[in-house]
Amino acid sequence: MTLTKESLIAAIKAKIVDIAAQTGDDASELEPDDIIPATGLIDSTGLLDLLAWYEKTYDIPLSQEELTIDNLGSLTRMAEFVLRRKSLP
Amino acid sequence: MATPIRAPRINNNDDEVKVLAFDVQPGTLVKSGQIVGQIETDKAVLDVESPADGYVLGLLAKPDDVVKVGSILLWLGESPDEPMPEAPDEPKAGARALGETTAKARLLLSKHGLRADAIQPIDGRITVEAIEKHLAARGGSQSAVNRTMAPDRSPEPAPDVPGVAVSLSKEEKGMAATVLWHRDQAVAGYVEIEYDLAPWAEYAKRLQDEKGWMMSPLLSLMAWRLTQAVAKNPRLNATLLNGQRYEYATINLGFTIQAGEALYLAVVRDAGQMDEPTFVNALGDLQRRAAGHKLREAETSGATIGFSSMERWKVTRHIPILPPQTAFMVAHAAGRDGKGILGASYDHRILNGAQVVGALRHLARPATN
Repeated sequence: MTLTKESLIAAIKAKIVDIAAQTGDDASELEPDDIIPATGLIDSTGLLDLLAWYEKTYDIPLSQEELTIDNLGSLTRMAEFVLRRKSLP
Repeated sequence: MATPIRAPRINNNDDEVKVLAFDVQPGTLVKSGQIVGQIETDKAVLDVESPADGYVLGLLAKPDDVVKVGSILLWLGESPDEPMPEAPDEPKAGARALGETTAKARLLLSKHGLRADAIQPIDGRITVEAIEKHLAARGGSQSAVNRTMAPDRSPEPAPDVPGVAVSLSKEEKGMAATVLWHRDQAVAGYVEIEYDLAPWAEYAKRLQDEKGWMMSPLLSLMAWRLTQAVAKNPRLNATLLNGQRYEYATINLGFTIQAGEALYLAVVRDAGQMDEPTFVNALGDLQRRAAGHKLREAETSGATIGFSSMERWKVTRHIPILPPQTAFMVAHAAGRDGKGILGASYDHRILNGAQVVGALRHLARPATN
C-alpha cells in the first residue's frame, strides 16, 4: 500500500480515536493540525500506546530526543515525519 | 580456660531457636557485650552478646541450624590458639543438615519463596549458584510458578463450579508473585497526604514547553524527586532480611506501566546517581519500550522502591502492593479541585508512618517552585 500524507493522517487518527475511547473520550473531531497532547484527548499512557504503535506500524524506531511537538505533535506532523524518514514525497 | 556462649531463651514457650547469622569467626577478638550473632524464633529475633572478652575458638552451629536453648553456639578462649573443648555439653537438637547459607543466597531464597532445605548445597554451602542451579533444574516457567506460591500454605481447593484453567502470562505470574510477597512477607501500612497540584503542574508544563517534549514529564519528575527523598533517608530504600534492615547500596526505582493487558514494573537502575534530565529520559525510554512490550528482563527486576500512578483512570486514591523486597511505594492519583492525594504503602516492619509522611511531604512539591 502506498503511503501518502492523507492515508497516514487517516490511519493515525483512527488509532487515536481507538486509544481515546479506552478512557471514555471521543477523538473523532480531532483536526490534522491540532496539537495532540494539548487537546487532552489522550493522556501520557495513551501517547505511549500511540508512539509504540507508530514505531511498529511504520517501522521507524524513535529516539527519546525525537519525541517532540515539532516532530510528532499533530496528525500532519506525524504523517510528514513518516514520509521524511522513509524519503517519500 | 574456654568460655562457652550459649543459645539464650527468647520466649518461654520456645525450647529451640534458629541461628540466623554469626558476626564473628574463629580468631576474632570480641569484647564483653559485643554482639556475636543473631537467633530467632517464630516471634522474635535476638542479638547474642558475648558475656566476656576473648578470642573465638570455634563455632558449633551454622546459620539456619535449629538448636536447643542453652546449647553452645561458640567457644571463647584467652588466646586465639587455645584448643577448643571437644565435647559440647549437649548435641544440637533438630539441627538441619544444611550447609552455610550466604547472605546473598538468603536474599535469593526469600525472593523466590524457597526454603534452604530445598536446595542442594555446593561444597557444603548454599550459594547463589546452588539456588540458580535449583531454579534452572525446575525450568524457567516452573520457577516462576514457585515464586507465586506462598511458602507454608496449603494449595487452594478446587472450585465447585466447572471452569477452565488458563495459564498465566509471564507478567501475570510476576504480578501474582508481587501480591503474594506483599501478603506473606511485608507488614504493609498505608498513609496519605493532601497536596496542591499547581506547583507540580506548572513546573512540569514549563519544562515540557522549554524542551518541546511530546510527553508531559510530570510523573517522571515526581519519580525523580522520590529518589532524592530516598537518598536522604536510606531506610526507605531497604527491606527486612533475617531480622535486620537491609539497606540497598543503589536506588532502583520501579515504575508501574500499564501496556494493554500487561502491567509492568519498569526499573530505572542507579536512579540516585542520575540528574533530573537523565532520569526523565531514562524513564521515558523505559515507558515507551514497555508500551511496545520490548522491555528486557533486567529492566523489570531489582526494584528497591516504587512509584505507581492511577491518574489515567481518574482514580483519586489507591493503595499499592509493595514489590518484593521493597519497603516503600508511592501512590499517585488523579486530583480534584486543585488538590491531589499522595499516598504510600510501606513495610511497617522497618518504617513507621512518620518517616513515610516525611518523604511524602518532600515529594509534594518540586525542587524548584
